Amino acid sequence: MRIKVTVNNRIYERDIEENRTLLRFLREDLGLTGTKEGCGAGECGACTVFFNGKTVNSCMVLAAEADGGVVETIEGEASGGMLSVLQEAFEKHGAVQCGFCTAGMIMSARELIHQHPHPTRKEILEGLEGNFCRCTGYEQIIEAILDVTGGYEPKEELSYV
Amino acid sequence: MYETLDKSLLKQVGTSATRLDITEKLTGEAQYVSDMVFPGMLYAKIKPSPHARAKILSIDTSKAEALEGVHAVLTGEELDYRIGLYVVDKDILAKGEVRHFGEAVAAVAAETLALAQKAVDLIEVEYEVLTPVLNHMDALKEDAPLVHPDLGNYDYVKAVFTPIPGTNIANLTKLRKGDVEQGFVDADYVIEREYDNPSVQHVPMETHVAIVKWGLGDRVTIHTSAQSPFTVRNLFCRTFSLPLNKVRVIIPHVGGGFGGKAGIHIEPLAACLSKKAGGLPVKFQATREEEFSLLPCRSALTYRIKTGVSLEGKIIAQRMDMYWDAGAYADYAVNVTRASGYSASGPYEIPNAWVDAYTLYTNKPYGTAYRGFGHVEFHWGIERHMDLVAHTLGMDPMEFRRLNALKPGSITLTGEKINEHTGSVIACMDAAAKAIGYGKKTKAELQREKETGLKLGKSIALLQKAPAIPSNTATAAVVKMNSDGTVSVTVGLTEIGQGSTTALAQIVAERLGFRLDQVFVKVEKDTDSDPYDWQTVASKGLVLSGNACILACNDLLEKGYKVASHILKASEDDLSHDADFIYIRNHPDNRVSWSEISIGYAYFDGIGIGGPLIGVGSYIAQGLSNLDKETGQGNPALNWTFGAHGIICEVNPVTGEYALRKIASAFDVGKVVNPELLRGQIIGGMLQGLGTAMCEGYIYDKEGHLLNPSFTDNKIPTSMDLPFEVEAIAVENSQIDGPYGARGVAEHPMISVAPALGNAIYEAVGADLTHMPIRAEDVWRAMEDKKPIDNWITKTPIGSCQPWPDPEHPISSQTKKP
Amino acid sequence: MLVTFSYKAPQSREQLLDMIATGESDSKLLAGGTDLLVNIRNGVYRPKMVVDLKKIPGVDAITWDKKTGLKIGPAVTINEILTDANIRQHYPLLCSCARDLASFQIRNRATVVGNIVNASPCSDMAPALLCLDATVLIESKQGKREVPIAEFFTGVKRTALKPNEMVTSLHIPADKAGVRGVYRKLKRIQGHDLGIVGVAVANVGKGARIGVSSSAPTPVVTPLLPLSLSLPEVIEAVNVIIHPISDVRCSKEYRTFMVGEYTKRLWKEVIS
Repeated sequence: MRIKVTVNNRIYERDIEENRTLLRFLREDLGLTGTKEGCGAGECGACTVFFNGKTVNSCMVLAAEADGGVVETIEGEASGGMLSVLQEAFEKHGAVQCGFCTAGMIMSARELIHQHPHPTRKEILEGLEGNFCRCTGYEQIIEAILDVTGGYEPKEELSYV
Repeated sequence: MYETLDKSLLKQVGTSATRLDITEKLTGEAQYVSDMVFPGMLYAKIKPSPHARAKILSIDTSKAEALEGVHAVLTGEELDYRIGLYVVDKDILAKGEVRHFGEAVAAVAAETLALAQKAVDLIEVEYEVLTPVLNHMDALKEDAPLVHPDLGNYDYVKAVFTPIPGTNIANLTKLRKGDVEQGFVDADYVIEREYDNPSVQHVPMETHVAIVKWGLGDRVTIHTSAQSPFTVRNLFCRTFSLPLNKVRVIIPHVGGGFGGKAGIHIEPLAACLSKKAGGLPVKFQATREEEFSLLPCRSALTYRIKTGVSLEGKIIAQRMDMYWDAGAYADYAVNVTRASGYSASGPYEIPNAWVDAYTLYTNKPYGTAYRGFGHVEFHWGIERHMDLVAHTLGMDPMEFRRLNALKPGSITLTGEKINEHTGSVIACMDAAAKAIGYGKKTKAELQREKETGLKLGKSIALLQKAPAIPSNTATAAVVKMNSDGTVSVTVGLTEIGQGSTTALAQIVAERLGFRLDQVFVKVEKDTDSDPYDWQTVASKGLVLSGNACILACNDLLEKGYKVASHILKASEDDLSHDADFIYIRNHPDNRVSWSEISIGYAYFDGIGIGGPLIGVGSYIAQGLSNLDKETGQGNPALNWTFGAHGIICEVNPVTGEYALRKIASAFDVGKVVNPELLRGQIIGGMLQGLGTAMCEGYIYDKEGHLLNPSFTDNKIPTSMDLPFEVEAIAVENSQIDGPYGARGVAEHPMISVAPALGNAIYEAVGADLTHMPIRAEDVWRAMEDKKPIDNWITKTPIGSCQPWPDPEHPISSQTKKP
Repeated sequence: MLVTFSYKAPQSREQLLDMIATGESDSKLLAGGTDLLVNIRNGVYRPKMVVDLKKIPGVDAITWDKKTGLKIGPAVTINEILTDANIRQHYPLLCSCARDLASFQIRNRATVVGNIVNASPCSDMAPALLCLDATVLIESKQGKREVPIAEFFTGVKRTALKPNEMVTSLHIPADKAGVRGVYRKLKRIQGHDLGIVGVAVANVGKGARIGVSSSAPTPVVTPLLPLSLSLPEVIEAVNVIIHPISDVRCSKEYRTFMVGEYTKRLWKEVIS
């Protein structure tokens, strides 16, 4: 079937197989490979994107459902050649290691800031619950989010003996 | 190298430089193999074995081959190659017999993934199911089925390993120090107990993936999500008898490794499919379920420890028997056994020691390297045992440790003498203990106990690890100067998220005296253009590649000075430099810029001198030796990194539910190169260790089917599972042969988290756990003195749990029809 | 997806019922897809046709009326439950269950109706719906019918729904407005996970009801219990309705024990 989807403010019209997931549509049909597949079963959150204004696991959405819809991905996060405030905070706090969960993590972080402009630590933990990260242990990601939402208290992060 | 330099003199080392690869990872631009597509590329799928052990009676591939769009169908019978890191025991596709659930018996390359799956579904395999050997302790029994009846005919690394033909023993590592039997006679107490843990999955967020093109003329190009490009190339060429210079291995960004992507895994299969498909590139990416059962896991371990101790609390003798579950293939498990064997006591001095460490074949997915390389598993036993011994003696566990911990003058299990500069495990212990307020509860904590009814426990666990590497492990670095005076650095060390490229850039900038933005270390690896590195494993990258970078910088500086001395008409001894110029020390204005000499200097009349400035540094591990096969004596340790975790845990004394209030982790890293990256390693490793401690582990049924090969029933820690408070602590006792005194620490944060948790739970509610993971039910059972039952709550990794009685919806739903 | 199927998005209920009228089991209704698409991926279902019901006007409606009660359309997501002012005010137990269901992005897609149609023993919404005496409104070309939620679940992943039928809404009676209750589940990790056991205790005024998930082939609920029961009597009443097994998540013994412990905890919190 033919679908028309707005992705990162650009309209794409493509013929797709009806069993295609939104994730594969983004990655394979549009070449937007910033969104990753970690499990294909809606558990790990690596494929998180915005679909009609809400975060979803794009491996568990059919591309056909997105016909006429609006999708936002990591490729739309930076604008005008500048990293977003959130991306800059991730950079500042060392919130990235292998980088494979990062796209989904930033999408979920953006959503949680939208839900809670000044989140508590607990609200951050709950907001990121659906995004697995095997490298960082989440702490520096949490600090990055606290930093952009005004809740971060600078401290000596590594103690020395 | 340069380990005595005062911190105040260092400009780059010790700063939180930003990751070199940060921007592309934040924007989604970073390319991983899973993102890559090539013209004409085919997609591969495998046919997994539904049985743990079965004879393959026949494979009918005719329907699959007849499918339009299918370019290659392969079975084991067509492939006369065997692979193996240390024991060459694995076929590319099962031949004659399948040895574990999920093993590949056939494979297809087709134009789309869906077509490949369709073709795989059309392959018919007829099996005769055989009785498997599942529990590794059963594998030792005389009447146990042999997983590898041909073990005696396999090639293996004879200097290091000892497989025993006619048994399921893939390796036996022995260590003997002093007289253990006499030690037990002299001891006042002898305390013995067994500890165990199941197999677990690494869970890199990017599953294993490779794209291989085997062109005519045997030129092979491999794009792979792997840790070690040169090892992939080396093992690949050995398997297929190809010259090394015709095989090119390229590794772009890697979505996590943790040891699971060391060695060689899916590359040979993709290569054989490509060859059969006439040289079209073939992509094979494991599904998450295949990641659990086709690809390797961490070995299970049963560890029996018998300790003789004096009334004063001094360990006199210790016998340590390790039984490692290799699964169906030896892979890294034999070397895990070796490395764990010589480190088996943890960071304690044992005057009389005896270690027998067995690697045992079973019919289960096979074990490989995993962050910590055996040390996570056996420290579970050792550090629980140290608490048991201390409690038996009525001593405080921390004071007992202080008495027996390695300190300057101590002799390790293998006969190495500990020096002042080896690092201090006691300093780590004291730091972690202080951070959690070890030894007493605060008023607020007592109040909280009263209000909640929950019990608080505080504990300590120590750890040690040295890189488990061959004695002649080597690496190299090349520092090339560009015409603008910046430098490009290449090393064979892979960036898998640990941040090595950034740390190396800091070391290069430090040594050259350059600004950090003048230095770039190439992230993507390519065996055709990068200098050799053994492997990206073992926490050895910072020390070995760091030293190679320093030597390469020295080489570059020497070459630069030589050219400059001609130009400036001054002795090299009278020259100095900064980030932009080489100048005469006494007349700083008399100078030549780096950019002027970077690719060859031209005098005013056009005559050229010098040439491209390229510094080369090679470094090989110093002073290591193979261990004596009978006594285990020798020098295996490049350096010891010591550490300690302190945990505050809150336990429900009725139900066994628990939560971590705090974990403090301290490591003697020699010198902190990048505090932010170090903190990321410490917290990330700690949480991965907590996953192992709390919830992860393979669960099988009695036939050897893996029941939890996905995130549905194999949970890993989420943000919600982070302890309430985490603290990362650095101790800095410089390593003499480390770059600026640094030593590696990537694996260590994961080690001993589990026993620290176990010890804290014991302190809180008296639940005395000997198996992990520690689930709420395990704590409850231990408190109630109930035996582990014969299902998933078990002292063995074999269960007999029943799925919901509904044949239409089995729990292991990924199993394809046989 | 590696399984091939066609995708249909009917614009009206009539169109949808026509499409599935033949009643062949090779069509599946798609709402949030968080169970359906996983099952298709895993080869548990191999439908020829996936029928997306979300384009039908009104399917995402939540309506509340003092007299008639609450109606939840088949496309209403879990997060919509959590943000609906009426539900938060009048049916807090629904929110308590919804909060414990999976992760935020799953809750953005997963639907309340889907959660019961999937009929997993560990359904998180079912304990609340059982305590609140919900009715499942069902329609096919042959007509409409209503099934009390307690009769809707017929086995592990089995329901009273026929292949030619769709759930048009869930109805929660007006007299259950204001029922106080809390749901809690034991998980293997603190993060999103299927429940080892899940218990909801509701004070329905005249008495209490206790709904339990993950402890029988279907979610189950006690009859109305007098508020005056002692804790051992309450646990006894729960033990009668559960039939736990041992599986990869937990042993039968611990399940039974923990249902009791959670019941005790919540009874103290909600009733005593």
